[in-house]
Order: sequence, then structure tokens, then C-alpha cells
Amino acid sequence: MLRRTTAALAGSATALALLATACGGTDQAASPGKKTGEVTFWSFLKGSDKVAEAFNRSHPDIKVTFETVPSGQEYYSKLTNAVKAGTVPDVAVVEYPHLPEFAAQGKVEDLSGTLGPVVKEKFPEAARQLVDLGGRTWGVPRDAAPLMMMYRKDFFTRHKIDVPTTWDGYRNMAEQVKKADPAARGGVLYTDNPGVLEALSWQAGGQWFATEKDSWKVTVDDGPSKKVAAYWGDLARKDLVRSLSQLDPFWTSVQKDRTVAYVCASWCAGAHQATVPDQKGKWAVAPVPTWDGKPASGMYGGSSFVVPKGADNSGAAAEFIKWITTDPEGMKAWVSSGTSSMFPADPKLVPVTKAAFKTDYYGGQDIYTLMARSYDAIRPGWTWGPVMGATNTALVDQLPKVADGTVSLPGVLTTAERATIEQMEQRGLKVTAP
Amino acid sequence: MTETSTLDAPAPAPVTPPPPGRRPAARRRKGAMKSPSVLLSKAGVTAMLGLATLYTLLPLTWLLLSSTKSREDLFGTNGFALGDEIHLTENLGHLFTADDGVYLRWLLNTVLYAGVGALLASVFGVAAGYAFDKLAFPGKERLFSLVLLGVMVPGTAMAIPLYLLAAKVGLVNTFWGVFIPGLVFPFGVYLARVFSASYVPDEVLEAARMDGAGEFRTFCRIAFPMIAPGFVTIFLFQFTQIWNSFFLPLVMLSDQDLYPVNLGLYVWYSSALTQGHPEDYLLAVVGSLVAVAPLIAIFLMLQRFWKSGMTAGAVK
Repeated sequence: MLRRTTAALAGSATALALLATACGGTDQAASPGKKTGEVTFWSFLKGSDKVAEAFNRSHPDIKVTFETVPSGQEYYSKLTNAVKAGTVPDVAVVEYPHLPEFAAQGKVEDLSGTLGPVVKEKFPEAARQLVDLGGRTWGVPRDAAPLMMMYRKDFFTRHKIDVPTTWDGYRNMAEQVKKADPAARGGVLYTDNPGVLEALSWQAGGQWFATEKDSWKVTVDDGPSKKVAAYWGDLARKDLVRSLSQLDPFWTSVQKDRTVAYVCASWCAGAHQATVPDQKGKWAVAPVPTWDGKPASGMYGGSSFVVPKGADNSGAAAEFIKWITTDPEGMKAWVSSGTSSMFPADPKLVPVTKAAFKTDYYGGQDIYTLMARSYDAIRPGWTWGPVMGATNTALVDQLPKVADGTVSLPGVLTTAERATIEQMEQRGLKVTAP
Repeated sequence: MTETSTLDAPAPAPVTPPPPGRRPAARRRKGAMKSPSVLLSKAGVTAMLGLATLYTLLPLTWLLLSSTKSREDLFGTNGFALGDEIHLTENLGHLFTADDGVYLRWLLNTVLYAGVGALLASVFGVAAGYAFDKLAFPGKERLFSLVLLGVMVPGTAMAIPLYLLAAKVGLVNTFWGVFIPGLVFPFGVYLARVFSASYVPDEVLEAARMDGAGEFRTFCRIAFPMIAPGFVTIFLFQFTQIWNSFFLPLVMLSDQDLYPVNLGLYVWYSSALTQGHPEDYLLAVVGSLVAVAPLIAIFLMLQRFWKSGMTAGAVK
């Protein structure tokens, strides 16, 4: 007990690194078990309450209790501690970037035996690669978040600016925007969220992480990623894109017509129209530009569901997860508010979400077809790392210094790689030289 | 160092005469030593206090102004100016009705966790501090060093061990899981011992004993009223500590109906813009304003105790 307390004390200071055990991939597949009883469900996703209600209505044998949790790093430390204390919910949301961390530390149940076949049957490679690790299935995808570009159609038309299809074109666009209106910019480099930068590295063919037999390969600053970083670092330093926080500073710039284009993902269409409702009709969605003009994409966001280690009722939990990720009725419940533009990871469910999301804000544009194309173009081979919290922290620490030239963005990737490897070695994960 | 030794020193004397008004001794402080004296001058101190005041008041001003804005104005107008329309009433109405009035529930929880918790913690703390000061019992100083050890360990570091313990006894996700840890306040015990030593003369207690009062009666009727200002100080300390405590409720609670107000606001804030329900963002802003109001009120009401507590024992 004393040992445990000391360990926990140290753990709270170092993001629980010391307790980590690298034991992924050795667990027996969970037995199917019973499919009745009570299920507790942790989530911060919009519509979670509706999904739980709808499930309870159609499944009288299972009672799901939904509990709202905060999102962000705090949530993951809460979930980690719950696993340690044995007070876990039966179903929990985990965003893709964090899933390998939980899988590698044995904090989620191996779902290969129960939901593995469902994942294999329903989801394309682009989503599967995010929940399968070491040949086993650790979570079930809910939504994919293929990249898109949002832009002010009225501004582009008024100043005769073409919608770019390549990154060279995007730079021209950013220059034209600044020339047309010195207060406006055609893009953003978020200072507090590396998600877009990661997605763009992914799109360019970067592979930050890869698993080999029993070790990890870490190449955060590989060629394609460095190319992306150099490009965005340059745009930020030349003040062609804004460098600001993705929270109110960003939305303030949108509201004040100072950001007229930005790279985002499928879900952003809904978030955007909810946040700046009075700019209705001014915005449109376009495919994300690519390096060579051929379709290519990555993901910014997206969530999966897991059964945390030690869950009381994993049988019923699996049933619930299956329904909320692959059943049309389940998907319908997620988007019942009509304000979510999430793109289901199961392509068969796209009609459900498409029907629920009214696109009059975007002048009736068929944005789901654009998203579907982007989803198909997601590059295979991307894996998130096992200490993504540390990787992201290392990135975010440096991102605000890019615009004024204190650090170079490719250099930031190198720093993040070093921090990542250090953290992995501390946790006893094997890292082979990049 | 004396004036003579400075004069004897072979160091080259500055050629320029000291600026008028400066004490001659200042000449001895060269280079880097000069700046503190500038900072400590009246204007310097006033400027620093002014900065500190701004640092404290600017966020509050932002909060106050933002709470009166509509969502469009929140992003569309300057943070330190009024919006185009005053939306305070609508915002407050929205705040108290959102999610079936869960905000009121959070406020009530916080009052129970922080108010009742701090009250009990202060009673226990004062009683313990008094005992440490006035009573003789075996192992007293050793026990007191244990209390001091408790003062050293920050509350956040205790959150995880407390959580693991609570999981063992089944208090996770219950009211008691957050309430009980709030009753323990080692710093309060330490303060109470100091207060007891400076406010309660031993002679008074002797007189009380002579008149036949028991220990408990002496404490309740004589010592406690004398420590009252200290009691308020301890209460305020612990009240703010529980009110601000975030990590413990975060790991301990997952039922929204048990949340204290800061955790609830964080849930709204953290997912508002990233999960695409920006209306929660405004709720978090208005909710924060309403949540700081009781703190300000309680400090204004109790500040005379607080002040007298701060200087207690200054001349001892």
C-alpha cells in the first residue's frame, strides 16, 4: 500500500509515467459475456446523452448511464486514474491520438475477440489503422475527421481570388488575401493545438510512428513532415497566416472578417456555423489543397470507444459500442440535434448524417460528398504514438514562438521527437533508432 | 560594513556627485545595487502596486463585460468594451436554466463542500491548534511535526492517493469523497497554534480552571471566543482552498449532479469550442462571474477579521 501511494504521488507529478507498464498485445481476448445489465458511459461528445437515451429505449435489457466528463488532457488523466483504482466506466470515449497510449499500457480491454470482426467488416483501412495496434483491436471508430478547407466565398469572389487546390496555390491565395485586405489572412497556425499540423504531415506522407515486432519507430521530423513544417513556418513568419489560439482569439478573428480561410476537418462545418451563425451564406467548403494536386488527406480529430480495463460489464458494453458506431439508429441519435457535421467512420452511415445536417449555412453545398472524397484519400500507414500527450505538449510549448522566428517549425518537430523518445524510454517502451 | 571601512577601501570613488536627494550611503551600492533603490522608491512601489492591481482587475473586467454580451458580440467586439447589446439578463436566464438548472445544483454543492467543509475544518483546526499550544500530552511535538509535514505536501499531490483510498472504501463518485478530504487542514492547525499562543494568555485559562471550569468548557467559553479572529482567517483560507480545488473533484466525481461549480464550468468550457456547442462557452463565462461573486462577498464581509488575523502576533 505504501509503495502504491508513493508511486501515485510521483505519478501525479510526471503524468503517471513511472507506473506505466508496456504490456500491450499480450492479453487474452475478452470473453463475450452476458449482454444485459447496467453500463456506465463516459463521454464529452456532443449528442452522447441522446445516444444513451435512444439505446435505452431500444434495448430494454441494458441500462446505460451517461456521465459527462470534461474533454482534453484532464479527461485522460481521470480515465488513467480510474483504471488504476478499479473504478472505471464500462464504455469510454478515447480520441484516436490517445488510443495507442491506453492500449500500450494495457489500460483498455483487447476487443479483438468481441468487436474485432465488426471493425474489420465495417470500417475502411483509414479508420482501422487507428484502432488496430499490434494486430489487435483496442477500440471502435465512431467518426472520421478528414481534412477540408473552409473559406469565405464572398471575399474570394469579391477580390477575384481562386480557391487553391495545391499548397503552392494556397500560398498565392494567402498573399492575395493580404493584399486585398491588409487586416485579413487566408489561414491559421494554431499555437495551442498541433492537430492540424499533424494532419497535414499525415497528408504529405509523413509517418511519425510505426510499430515493429516489440518496439516503436519514432520519426516525427521525417522528410514529408519537415516539408510541411517548413511551409507553414514560412507562412507564419511572413505573416501570411495568423498565429493564434484556436479558442476565442481564432473565433474573434473569424467573427471580425480577419480570417477568411482555414484548414479544418469535416466536423468543423457544424462547429463553424454554430459559432458564427451571423455569417450565414458567406462561407463554403473546399477540398484540402495537396502537394501534387492529386487527392490526399489526413485526419484532424475523430473519436473511438473503448472498454477500459476492469469494466464490470464488458459484454453489454460491447453491445452498446457496436450500436452507437455501426447502427443507423445509433448514428441518427448522435446527430439528432441537426447541428453536427461529423463524418461517420462507417461509410454506410453517411446518408444518415448527411440527412440530418442542413447545409443552408453553406448555401446548400453538398459538403458530405466532399468529405467522402477526402475520407477516401486519407493516406494509409499513419499510427499515433504511445505518449501522444507528451508529444503534443512538446509541440505546443514551441508553437507560439514560430511566428516571430524564435524557433523554426521543422526544429520544433525535432524537439518534439526528442521529448517523445525520452518519455517513451522513461516508460520502458522500446524505441528503435529512427 | 561601516562608513570608515568604505572610505579606506582602495576602490575608485565615483567622480560624479550623487544626485541630489539621495542619501550618501547609496553611493556605496554600485551598479546592480542601484536598481532596487529605484524600485523601492515611492513612485516605484506605487507603480508596482498599480501593475498588481491591473493584473487582478483586468481579467475581472473582461469577465464582467463579456458576461453582458451576446455570442456574436463576445467574439466580434473588444474584450474591454461593451458589446452592441446588453445581454446580461438573457445570459443569466440561460445559465440558470441550462441542463435543467444544473448550475444551481453545482453552486449548492460548492457551498456544501467549501462552506460546511471549511467551517468544520476550522473548528477541528482551532481545537487541535489550541490543544497543541495549551495542553501537555505525550508525543506532542512529534505529532505536531506530522502536522507540519502535512502543510508541506501540496493538495494536488494528495489527490491521487486520496482517490485510490476512496476507491478502496467505495467513496468514489459520492459527495463524501470530496467533502471528507476538505475537513483536513494541517495549515489551519498550525495557524491556530500560533493564534492560540498570541491571543489566549495562560493566566486566563488558569483563572478559569480555578473557578472550576472543565477543559472543554474552558475551550468553548473562554479560549474559542478569544481566537475568533484567527478562526475566521483559517475559515477563509480553507474556504478558498476547497472552492478552488479542482483536481480532486475531477478524478473523484463523474456524476454531474455532484460537481462543484468550477468543475462544471470546466466541462462547459473545455468542450464548448472543440465539440461545436459554442453556447456553452458563453455559459462558462457568465457562470464564472456568478461563481466569483460569493467569494468577493465573503471576503468583503469578513475582511476585518482577516486583516486582524494577518497581523496577529506581529509584535510578539
